[in-house]
Amino acid sequence: MATPDPDKLMAKADKLTKLSFTRWTADWKNATSLYEQAAIGYRFRKDNEKAKEAFEKASKGQEMISSPWDAAKHMESAAALAKELGHWNEVSDFYRRASELYRECGRSQPASDALAKGASALEDAVPDEAVRLYTDACVILEEDGREQMAFDLYRAATSVYVKLERYADAATFLLRWGIAADKCHAVNSQCKAYLSAIIIYLYMHDFQQAQKCYNDCSQIGAFLSSDQSRCASKLFSAYEEGDVEEIKRVAQSSPITHLDHVIIRLARKLPTGDLKELNKEEAEEEVLDENDLT
Amino acid sequence: MSVIDILTRVDAICKKYERYDVEKLNADNVHGNDAFARLYASVESDIESALQKAEMAAGEKNRAAAVALNAEVRRTKARLLEEIPKLQRLAVKNVKGLSKEELATRSDLVLALPGRIQSIPDGSTNGSKQTESWTASRTEIRFDSTSDGRFESEYFQQTEESSQFRQEYEMRKMKQDQGLNIISEGLETLKNMAHDMNEELDRQVPLMDEIDTKVDKATSDLKNTNVRLKQTVNQLRSSRNFCIDIILLCVILGIAAYLYNVLKK
Repeated sequence: MATPDPDKLMAKADKLTKLSFTRWTADWKNATSLYEQAAIGYRFRKDNEKAKEAFEKASKGQEMISSPWDAAKHMESAAALAKELGHWNEVSDFYRRASELYRECGRSQPASDALAKGASALEDAVPDEAVRLYTDACVILEEDGREQMAFDLYRAATSVYVKLERYADAATFLLRWGIAADKCHAVNSQCKAYLSAIIIYLYMHDFQQAQKCYNDCSQIGAFLSSDQSRCASKLFSAYEEGDVEEIKRVAQSSPITHLDHVIIRLARKLPTGDLKELNKEEAEEEVLDENDLT
Repeated sequence: MSVIDILTRVDAICKKYERYDVEKLNADNVHGNDAFARLYASVESDIESALQKAEMAAGEKNRAAAVALNAEVRRTKARLLEEIPKLQRLAVKNVKGLSKEELATRSDLVLALPGRIQSIPDGSTNGSKQTESWTASRTEIRFDSTSDGRFESEYFQQTEESSQFRQEYEMRKMKQDQGLNIISEGLETLKNMAHDMNEELDRQVPLMDEIDTKVDKATSDLKNTNVRLKQTVNQLRSSRNFCIDIILLCVILGIAAYLYNVLKK
């Protein structure tokens, strides 16, 4: 059965599954193997549309014969083909379905991997959906207590956010990364995540937020006594003095150069905007306070 | 008679005949009527002793002892400065047997005294500079007092060679500092890399444990399968079956040879 026509196989398999007067129960087992062969044949012929359909049907067949693992695998193949075709919503649907099937098997890692694959496929086309997929993948791993594996996902999601210029979301996501790192006692990653969040706030030219973030993170003992917090405090003092050279020097310093390259690029662009504005803002606020008191 | 006995006897005799010691009496009475002269003499002797103490303090290596000596000098100076007004009053008083010029010179002497007293070095003129530098360097831990490079005070004197030597020392220190900076940068990079590797390894530990259990299960399954296979093969390999196999093989070879011969013709 090396090169039978995939169309013929498909037709045969369809016949096996379609219930009719002569057939009372669908023969899913044979049908599934036929569907698989047909799908492989189509893929070999580079007929992506038909191959995708064949994989979908094969996956359904596997579900029917209660082997969710194989079903999930076929779903992934279908999704990869959908990506080639550019049917983005199908891509996300298929990957989500595959992830659910993996979760049925009780295997969280492949589930989150499926979502991650979907997210990386959709990064360019539908970045919002990609971010949602990344978030769900992180949630799956965290539920299972395997936060260590989620670090790469956090990194990828942050870079997508930064590409979309949604810096506040990026910073929030980094703080979530910090929480995950804290749970698995990865102190270095935690401190790096906090420093990255502070840098993003400074890049957004939101000095107050950055300060608040730094103060919050300083509550954590591990961060307070780390290189990263020292670097952050140097940055803040340079900002307060309005010393551009000092800011650039701190941005070249060692703790920042060991962060993710996306963050390094942002740090190199600091300071954004006018430093004197920051100080003027603070002075204005003080004047208002005095008026309120008197 | 031993030396000690001689000494004791000499002391006793001296004490008995003290009244007849003309020199001592003269020394005591030389200023007997002159209160000014007496006071002046005592002030002079105090100044002398203070100067001596100041010299000792300057050469003193032990900082605590130097500080103590300086404190004593300062106390003496303060006391002497208090005596000066009294001296001035006495200087004006006219004493028997004193010429007019002497009277004038006395007041001059008294006026000169405060200057002399103030000029006694007690470490306080340089002390202010030192305290400043101490406060400045309090943030840094210093074990070597010569490393701060302040060699202008009178405690240190320079010759040409020693200043050259010190310059060389400063240059070398600068080069060492540069080298140490480079080393520290490299070490920081190493530290960051090591931290990342640490976390990566931590991440892989549970994975390795999983692999371990799975592989253990696979090996035990394989062992079981092998044992069963061995039993099956042993059963199959009983001698009767083996002979039948060989006979059949020979038969087939014979048939093949016959056919070959037939076809060759």
